[in-house]
This record gives sequence, C-alpha cells and structure tokens, in this order.
Amino acid sequence: MSNTAMVEKYRSNFLKEVAENVEEGEWVRMCMQCGVCSGSCPMGPHWEHPPQELFMMIRANKREEVLSSSSMWMCTSCYNCIARCPRELPITHIMHGLAHYAKRLGLAPKENPTNKFSQRFWDNLTKTGRVNELKLGLSLYFMNGFVEGIKTALKMKDVGMGMLKTGRMNPLEILGGHGVKDKSGFQAMLKKAQELEAARVDK
Amino acid sequence: MTEVVATNQTIVVVGGGISGMTAALEAAECGKQVILLEKNPALGGRVSQMYKYFPKMCHPTCGMEINLRRIKANSNIRVMTMAEVTNVSGDTGDYTLNVTVQPRYVNENCTACGACRDAVETEFDNEFNYGLNKRKGAYLTSNMAYPQRYVIDPRMIGTADADKAKAACKYDAVDLDMQAEDLEIKAGSIVWATGWRPFDAAKIQPYGYDRIANVITSVELERMMDPMGPTGGKILRPSDGKEAKDIAFIQCAGSRDRNYLKHCSRICCMASLKQTTYLREKYGDDGKATVYYIDIRAIDRFEDFYQKVQADDNVSFIKSKVASVTEDKATGNPVLNGNNLEQSGMGKDMRYANPHELVVLAVGMEPSVDFNALNVGLSVNEEGFIERDPGNGGMFAAGCAADALDVNRAVQSATASSLRAIQVVNQVAGAEG
Amino acid sequence: MAAVKKIGAYICKGCGLDDRLDCGQLETVATREGKASPCKSHDFLCSQAGVDMIAEDIKSEELTHVVIAACSRRAKTEAFNFETVAISRANLREGVIWVRPDTDEARETTQEMADDYVRMACAEAKFTTQPPGNTEDKTACRHLLVVGGGITGMTAALEAAKAGYAATIVEKSAQLGGVVGQLSKRIATTAPFTELPDNGVAAMAAEIAANDKITVHLNSTVTRTSGAPGRFAADISTESGSTVTENFGAIVQASGFKPYDMGQLSEFNPDNADVVDQMGLEALVKEANGGAIKRPSDGKEIRSVAFIQCAGQRSQKEGHLSYCSGHCCQTSIKQAMYFKQLDSDIDAVVMFTDLRTPGAGGENFYRAGQDSGVTFTKSVASEISAGDSGPKVKFDDLLLNENVEQEFDLVVLATGMVPNSGVDIEAEAAAPAEGEAADSDVVASVPVESILNLDYRQGADVPQLVHGFTDSHFICFPYETRRTGIYTAGPVRRPMDAVQAMDDAAGAAMKAIQAIENANLGRAAHPRSGDLSYPLFRKEGCTQCKRCTVECPFGAINEDEDRYPEFNEERCRRCGTCMGACPVRVISFDNYSIDTVGQALKAVDIPDEFDEKPRTLVLACENDAYPALDMAAMNRVEYSAFTRIIPVRCLGSVNTIWLTDALNSGYDGIILMGCKKGEEYQCHFVKGSEIAHIRMSKIDDTLQQLNLETERVEVYEIAITDVERAPKLINDMAETIEKIGMSPFKF
Repeated sequence: MSNTAMVEKYRSNFLKEVAENVEEGEWVRMCMQCGVCSGSCPMGPHWEHPPQELFMMIRANKREEVLSSSSMWMCTSCYNCIARCPRELPITHIMHGLAHYAKRLGLAPKENPTNKFSQRFWDNLTKTGRVNELKLGLSLYFMNGFVEGIKTALKMKDVGMGMLKTGRMNPLEILGGHGVKDKSGFQAMLKKAQELEAARVDK
Repeated sequence: MTEVVATNQTIVVVGGGISGMTAALEAAECGKQVILLEKNPALGGRVSQMYKYFPKMCHPTCGMEINLRRIKANSNIRVMTMAEVTNVSGDTGDYTLNVTVQPRYVNENCTACGACRDAVETEFDNEFNYGLNKRKGAYLTSNMAYPQRYVIDPRMIGTADADKAKAACKYDAVDLDMQAEDLEIKAGSIVWATGWRPFDAAKIQPYGYDRIANVITSVELERMMDPMGPTGGKILRPSDGKEAKDIAFIQCAGSRDRNYLKHCSRICCMASLKQTTYLREKYGDDGKATVYYIDIRAIDRFEDFYQKVQADDNVSFIKSKVASVTEDKATGNPVLNGNNLEQSGMGKDMRYANPHELVVLAVGMEPSVDFNALNVGLSVNEEGFIERDPGNGGMFAAGCAADALDVNRAVQSATASSLRAIQVVNQVAGAEG
Repeated sequence: MAAVKKIGAYICKGCGLDDRLDCGQLETVATREGKASPCKSHDFLCSQAGVDMIAEDIKSEELTHVVIAACSRRAKTEAFNFETVAISRANLREGVIWVRPDTDEARETTQEMADDYVRMACAEAKFTTQPPGNTEDKTACRHLLVVGGGITGMTAALEAAKAGYAATIVEKSAQLGGVVGQLSKRIATTAPFTELPDNGVAAMAAEIAANDKITVHLNSTVTRTSGAPGRFAADISTESGSTVTENFGAIVQASGFKPYDMGQLSEFNPDNADVVDQMGLEALVKEANGGAIKRPSDGKEIRSVAFIQCAGQRSQKEGHLSYCSGHCCQTSIKQAMYFKQLDSDIDAVVMFTDLRTPGAGGENFYRAGQDSGVTFTKSVASEISAGDSGPKVKFDDLLLNENVEQEFDLVVLATGMVPNSGVDIEAEAAAPAEGEAADSDVVASVPVESILNLDYRQGADVPQLVHGFTDSHFICFPYETRRTGIYTAGPVRRPMDAVQAMDDAAGAAMKAIQAIENANLGRAAHPRSGDLSYPLFRKEGCTQCKRCTVECPFGAINEDEDRYPEFNEERCRRCGTCMGACPVRVISFDNYSIDTVGQALKAVDIPDEFDEKPRTLVLACENDAYPALDMAAMNRVEYSAFTRIIPVRCLGSVNTIWLTDALNSGYDGIILMGCKKGEEYQCHFVKGSEIAHIRMSKIDDTLQQLNLETERVEVYEIAITDVERAPKLINDMAETIEKIGMSPFKF
C-alpha cells in the first residue's frame, strides 16, 4: 500500500496504523510515559525524539513528523531500553519497525546515514547472495562524493593494509567476488518473499 | 510448655503490626476471645519504625501507646510473640493452626531493668534500624516494646556472653535452655494481618543501592529521623557522616515495574512528600528536595498535602523515571541520570545528570508472607496479596496482606476484617447454642 | 459501694530500688501518712510470689485499694492486675531512680522524691473508688440504624446482619442503590481487568429483601435522633409526613455524596449538550442499552470522546474542590473502555496530569485501559468551545509541550465528590446566635438539610473534619469521630470508590456493633476503652453556667428542661473535660476527680522556703507526655529532683482549682504537658488540649492576684517522641525558679 493509501485508510488514527503495520507496534499504547527508555539510551543526546516521545507523537497523530524522523534510525540495538522498560515494551524492535515502515512508505529521511548504509548493504547483498565487503566498503567511502571518498580511504589505509595482510579482505572481490551457487534461485526466493510481504501489508 | 486456651469461637490474628493490633482489639472490645500472634519479639510492626505519619505529621508511637494500653486493659486478648504459623488445617469455624514459638531465652520474670544488656558485650546488626547501627545481644527492640521484656539473640546461646547475661539477672528471668515450641491452636476464624516488607532495593541494579554509599531507602530515612534512632535524629550520609541537605527522592523504586513489582505501592508518593518536609524541619531554608516521579498519587485529601509541599520553593518535582544513578567519586555524591519529560518535548533535549548529596529510594511494598508457599488455601492474586474470595472461608486479610495500603486504610481494612471474623464465630456460637 | 475503704501498700525493692532508696522509710511514709495497712515490701514485687502476696492480702484483709510503689503504671500491667480493687501506682523506677544520678549528693533529694510519690499514691487511693460499671440490668438495643441506602448503607446492613445484629435502612429516594445503582458497570478490581462487572445493586437489594434481620424504609428521612449508644431513638418520616419512632443501639451514617455541579465550570462550556459529567455519561450508556452510545445534542453515534480529569478538582480556584476525589481516574478509564469495547475504532482520550490508580488492582486496571486502546495524554485542558463537529477542547500537551485544539463528539468532565454530610455544626455555632435556636423553622436561612437531626446540644449532625467530609482526624483510628455510637462510612467520610466504600461500611458496622456492646456493659469506647467510670454530677451545687455542655468534645452533655446539664454516659469518652471546665467542681468520676489529683498534689511535702528545695508540679497527659517521660527514663535522661509528676487523662480535665491549690500550697512552678492543639491537633480528646490552653491563658490573672510571677506556670504541647525535650522543659522550669526565687506561699 502506498503512503497515501495508508493516510486514507487510517485517517487520524496513527496509533492504530502503527499497531497494525509496524513490527511490535501494538505495544505503543502500553507506554506510560516514564521516560526511562530515553534516559537509559546511550545514544540519547543524538536523538531528535527519544522513544517515549515518539510514542507520544504517535498518539498525538504526528504521522509526518514520526515517519520522516531520523530518530529511530539512531538505534544501535543495545537493548538497554527493553531491559529497563517497566511496561515490557520491546522498544528496540519498535524502533526498527518504525524505521522499516517509514522506509517502505518512502518517508524515511534520504540523507540519514543509517538509511543510506542499509540501502547499500541491501543492494550489495541481493546482487549475488553474498556480501561483497570490498565493494560495500568502497561504496560507503564514496557515499558522500569522490573527494570525501579518497579522504576516507587514505585515512583508513592502515586498517585496509592490515586486513589485506591477514587475509581478512580479498582485493580480487573488486572483480565481482563470490556469490551463491544458484543465483537465479536466490533472486526468485527474494522476489517471492517480497510478494508475500506486500500481500501481507496490503491485506 | 505454653498453655493456650482456644476454641472454635476464638479469633486468631496473625501479625501484630497496626493492622493486627487493630483487628484483635476491635474484636476483643466486642467481647470476643482473641489470640494475637507476632513473629517478632515485640508488637508494633512496620509503623513502629516510622518517624511520622503523612499527612498529619504526627508520631506513630502515639497511636501505638493507645493501642498498647487497650491491649493491656483487655483480658480477652492473648498476645504471643516470636510465634509463627506453619500450617492451617480445618475449615470455617473449625481451624487448627500449627504455631512455632521461638525461644526468647527470657521469661515473664523480666522487669526490663536492663542488667543483662549492660552485662553482655556482643553486638549484632540492629534489624529494627535496618542494620544502620548495632545492638547488644541482650536487647529490647525499642523503648515502646511490648511485651516489655528483653530478648537474648539466639546467636548468643552457648557463648560466655550469654552466661554473663544470665548471671546479671537477679530475677531468674534469663533461661538459656529455653526451646522452640510447637503448638496447636484452635480457631473459628483467622485474620491474616501479616503486613508488608520493603522491596529489596539492591535488586534495582541501575540505582546502585548496593554499590553507592549515599543511596539509601525511604524506610532507612525514617529510622534516621527518629531522635532515638541510629543517628539520633540526624540525616547523615553513610559515606562520610555529614549531614545531607540536598536530597533526591526516586519514586517507584521497585513499584509499577514488571522487572520488580508490577503494582503501584500507593504509599510511596505520600511518603516522599512527607520526607521532603523533614528537610524543612531539620534545615529550614537550607534544605533542598527534588522528587523524580512518574505520577504523583496523592489521592483524596492527601492532595492538600501535595499542594502544600508544591508551594515550598525548596522542593522541586521532575517528571521522569530515573534511568540510573552513578557516583561522583570525588564528592561521594550520587548522580542521577535521566530525561526530564515535562521540560523536553518535540525535540528539545532535557537529559540531566544531577548530583545530590543523598538519594532516597521510595521503595515499594510487597507482602511479607508468601501465601502461595504457606499453602493454607488462601486465594492470592498475581501481586501476592490475599484476595477477597468466598473460597477463603473463615480466613480474612487485614491491612497490607490485602493490598498496598496506607496506615489509615490498613486500619480501616483491619476493622472490617474484624467484623467478618466475628460473623464466623457468632455463627459458630449460634450453631452451638 | 463498700463504705469501708481499706488500703494496702506494697513497695518493690527490685530493679535497684532497694540500692537507691530507703525502702523502710517508704514503708513508714505509707503507713504513717498514707494510712496504709497492711504495708509490705518485697524484693521482687512483680514476681509470682509478690503478686500472690498482694492477692492473698486482698482476700484476707478485704482490701478495697492497693498502692503499688514500684515501676511506672505503664509497666508490668499483666502482673499488677487485680480486678476487684482500685489500684494506684507510685512510679519509683521510671519516675525516680532512673532519672536521678546515683551519687551521694543526690541521695537525699531522690529519697524525697520517692517519699512524695508514695504519699501521692496513697492520697489518690484514699479518694478513688473502683467504678462499678453498668450495674443496672439494662440491655442495650442490638439494632443498627443505617442512614442511606446506597452501596455503603446496604453493605453495612448486610454485614451487621451476618454478625447477628438487626439493621434498619432509611433511604431518602424511592429505591436502594444510590449512585452505584446508576452505573452501567463497575471498575474491575480482580483479573481479568478488562471485564467490567455489573454494578451489583440488584443482587444486594435481593439479598436485603430476603434477610429478615433487615428492614428498609424508602422515601424516608430521619427527622429526629435522640439518646445515646444502646438507646438511640429515631423518628423516621416518609415524604407523605407519617412518622414512626424506633429504637436503635448505634448508627451508621452512609449518606454518600453528590457529584460536583459542573455548571460552575464555565470554562468548560457546561451548557453544551455534548459536554457531560461522569454520571451524565453513565446515563447515556444506560440509554444506549448495549448499542452505540449517542451524543445528546443530535443523537449522532459517538466516534470520539475525551475525558477531562480533575475538572474543578485539585484546584485552588474559587468554587473548585481543592482535594482529589480518588476514584475519577479509574472511573474515566472504565468509561473509556465502554467505548473501546463497543468498537475499538472509537477514539477515547483521557487527559490527565497525574494518573492516579494506586494499589495492586489500580495499576492493573490502568494497563487494561491502555490495552483496550484508550489513549492517555498528560495534559491540562483549559477551555471547551463549540466546534464545527462537536465540542472543541483546548489543551496543553505537557509532554509534547504544545497547545492543541481538537474536536470530539463528546467530552466527559471528571468532576469531584461533594459529601452529603448535612449541617456544618461548627460553622453554625460560629454564626450569629439565632442559629442556636433548636427549632428548625427558625434556621430557614441555612440551606443544608440535616441528615440525622440529632437533638444534641452541640448540633444536629456529626462534626465535619475538612471540606465537608466527616473523617476522623486520627491516622490510627479512622472511625474515632466525635459522636460515640455514630459512625460515618463511604464517600461522606472521605472521597472513595465503591470497593473502598463497601469495606468502609464493614468497618463502620464493626464499630457500631462494638458501641452497642460497650453500652451494654457501661464501658467507655476508645481511647479509654474499657473504662467503667462515668461523670458523677452533684446537681445541688450546679450554677447552670453551661461550660460543661459547651466544652464536651463529644457532645455527651445535653441540657434538661430545667437547664441543668444532662449527662449521657454512653456518649461519654471519660476525658474529664467537663470536670476541668466546672467552676464549682460538681463533676467528677469515681476513679478520677478533683480530689484524686488535688489531694495527691497536696500530699507532697513542701519544704520550708529556706530549704532551697523548690517543688515543681507537672500535670502530664497520660497519652503522650507521660509515656515520653517514661521513655526518657529508660534512656536515663536526668531531670530535676524537685519535680512531682501527676498523669492526667487529658489537659482538658485540668481544673484550675488544682493550680490554685498547688500555688497556695507553696509549689514554685507548674508545668502542664498536653498534646498538640489546633488544626493538626493530636489531642486524643480532640478539643481537650485546646480548651486547656484557653483556660490557662487566663491563669495569669490568678498569678497576679497572688502576686506571683507569670513564669511559674507554663503550658506546653508535648509529643510522645519528645524524650529529650520534655525533661529539658522540666529543667528549664527549675532554672527559672532559681532565677525568680522560691514561692512565698510555703507554710
């Protein structure tokens, strides 16, 4: 379903939209606004909206602000919030669920590094069924333009040489690298999975 | 062997705190035969360890005195201390309790003259003061102790010190050969007034109760305020013995949290509000209190008290469940970390790292007895409190055995349970003509 | 009673008394001055042998009075418990040796102290009588009057009936059930918390109808109540005007509450049909009868609803309620669940500042509300106006820090509880004298109708504590109000929900039953439980000054047709305030009188002015000050050897004649130690300490007449924890006397 279809479907009930479409989203209503999640989050100062605030915004129907926020992309999955939440909310999962949902609807912030990395990782992986680490690394280096990329590469050269020496990085991967045995089968599998997911979401 | 006269028209009250004393007295003053069992050496329970009651700021000992006088004046009540129920059999109107009475090693001859206390040297952690100081191995739990009779700590038995206690007593009151006794007591009805215990603060790891010296519990602060308590009525930092004037109160320390106690303990908001006034009492304008809370639950006319505290410029409120407490090693100050929800909002970050001289954890209430383990056929809810259930037969809960209650509500609950017990024994009496 | 008084005195030599005191001399004092015979000492008086010795003497010597000179009257009560005789105790341990240093210099004054306490105990014994209790074979009426047929009253009647006591319910309206009867469902208090139970009224009404111990008067009110515990008489009148008079042993007042008038909340657009209070919503839900809930203005199905908590509550604004009604958070959660359970797509928002759902069940119910999809917003609503599609609420979202306007189909205001406690008798007493007229026709200006219409001298209803609620002021004693045998329960006592009210009803029924049993035996109720004495009144001497009837904190004294005080002993709590009030000293108790104290203080040996041995009299409240001094002694806190302490039932019982007598006898100083007075009073007899303070404010005149310094008499409020302070005040007086010199009145 498209973003506009979702807006149409849930109108002013973003809480319900989240409950029905976001992984573990049905937990959002159980938040009692104690704030221990934001207080115990190691990334806390870097969030625009800490988790309990996102939950409050969801209840207040701030759909645009929530889905276009970079906040949930900041989660590093340390699970501190889950461990501390007095109401047993799986906050880490909800954060990833929200990010995923925003991405699916095309609302995720384009320039968010986590978003960009995730897209590159996915693109890299789905090509051959294996991650081509060299290509992934290089694409990350040059994510923000050629000059930035050269600078980053130079900065990281010692690490790179070390990895080469110890066999942790194969320079030949630049030629295409290895992949799964049945590449077309793998692609078909992905396609099927995407179809199933789309059918589930649209239901 | 202790002789106990009891019939199926006797009401047994288990627990000699304020709920149990009330339940026993109300029934006894109605002419009923009551046996009041208390696990500790003296009556009084948790309230006897409190400095003041909210919202009136009066002293619990005052009501204790009245209740003790009522007990002393009433021949219908038999008080048995150091007695614990191990099993209950039978049914409504015809129960048998198995009770174990631990040896006090001091008999009725004791005049509470204190000669044994003066004679012994061994000291133990004072449980009445939550271990904040020591007491002698021969002791009276407090000056309000009833029965006003000394106790020899069982760890003294077999030591030379115990013999000194015996030798010091002119009245042959010290009996070191006393043994535990197992008794069977009949009862028509049983009132469970077993009360509560403070939640074990050490379990709340992020608050560092077991690591940071200047993190204490609300019940410990009550003992510190008592002029006859371990610090002589002063609020002293455990780390350096200095008076603490800037104190943080962390609400819901254990309560409203599925990691610890799922329920709201009801009393902790009021307890902390009360304790903020201790600072004014001690230091006037020099005291400073900060309350970190989720919701301030000051219901009914407690609200008036809350508004009074709110009006005090030296008390501030921060809407935030504190995430963690760390320690500033240089000063010994605990540092509270979290996010102030009311000041933040829509992207405004209000994370704090606030140092305070002392942190008081408003610890929750949990039932002091595990009724499921006791296994006497009581219906117990998820939180461990006894539920109102006809299946409980002639057994009733009073006070904090029934729910997390403040003193006033506990006494009210005890009075109600007393009537329910009377209903049972009156029916027995009616049936027996 | 027995015409011949025979006093035996027993002196204990244990606990170091014999080491510190000359017990032989004490015997001499008791025998020669105290006229005690026999008089014996014992090494260990509280031992079985000692107690047996006394018991033996009581029998063989036919003793009527026993003086025990040993420890404090608070200690060893089990041992010294002789039911047939009057006992007075000389406190030689906590009162003498434990507060004095064990030095040679101190020996003489310490002995004098002990001698005096023995003299005082003997004097008290001489003038006291063991009260007989209820000797007439009158049987108290074992029948409860329950005023109010709501869930509290119904529960009180049912619980009393289960204990074997009859009950009569008087209900103003045409049916039982009260406010709870108008509710669609109740708050769930046990798992599963999403299942809302029925209001339960029908089942209770059926149980009452089937119970032959319970009578119900509907459409009726109590138009007159007279009498006392065990013998109340109440006029029960129907709307049509017929009246029956019935007898009752005790009364439970369960007159409930009315919802706060939302019309006063002009900022919330109360005239808007789609703005209702919680009871208004219950009516809509009942009307819907399981179907869609429709809004009043146009019958549209409600798709969005907001609940505004603390509407007109927890607020200092003029006309608002300052308190929290306690139940409203849970009630709003329940009502939001009504909608959510009909259709989970209905928007239900609760706007709150503090969500108050205390206790184990409360938090579960909050979670159940959230689980049902109710939205909770920490916010303050400031205004409601008419929007395009429904009432528009303006509110501050306190967490997102923004001002929001939102329209709803319906807005529910969680307003508070206003108690139905009848006439505020204290406000009335303070009003112009006309209010005093007993005829209710004359008091037409008072709009409030009385609930009980008591014929008490002190007003038609029970005293109110605060905000109109009739709660007890005592934390430890929630039912100890100021009208013996009348107990209020439910929301008239304190704001509370239905479950609490039902428990409260059982508690009040318990106290009511106990009041009946006490009346039956002539026993006092709390705090002097079991006291069999009662005020004795010598009518011949009475000057009809009315002080006793006005000052009695419990409204126990009426006036008879000849304007003499009429004592209702079953209402009396034995505090002695009447005795303290009486200027002509015609009121006393068998075991506590002008003489028991007056003669004791006069028995003290007052040394010559030049002996440099002043005497300070301390009259200490037995509830707090006396135990505080006892505990000071346990801690070995020393105080002046020139002190003589007499416990009193309450400072209210202190008659100024005692002070005049003491000053005339040559005491150099007097200290009165009572409990805290005023708004946060701690006095166990409510007004006693306050009244004493007022009386004593006039003592300066007496002192000036006698040409004595005003510093010689001090009145203090002492708490039971004043273990250091009380002895210090005594020592301060000793210093003062040293400064201003001895009293010239030593003869």
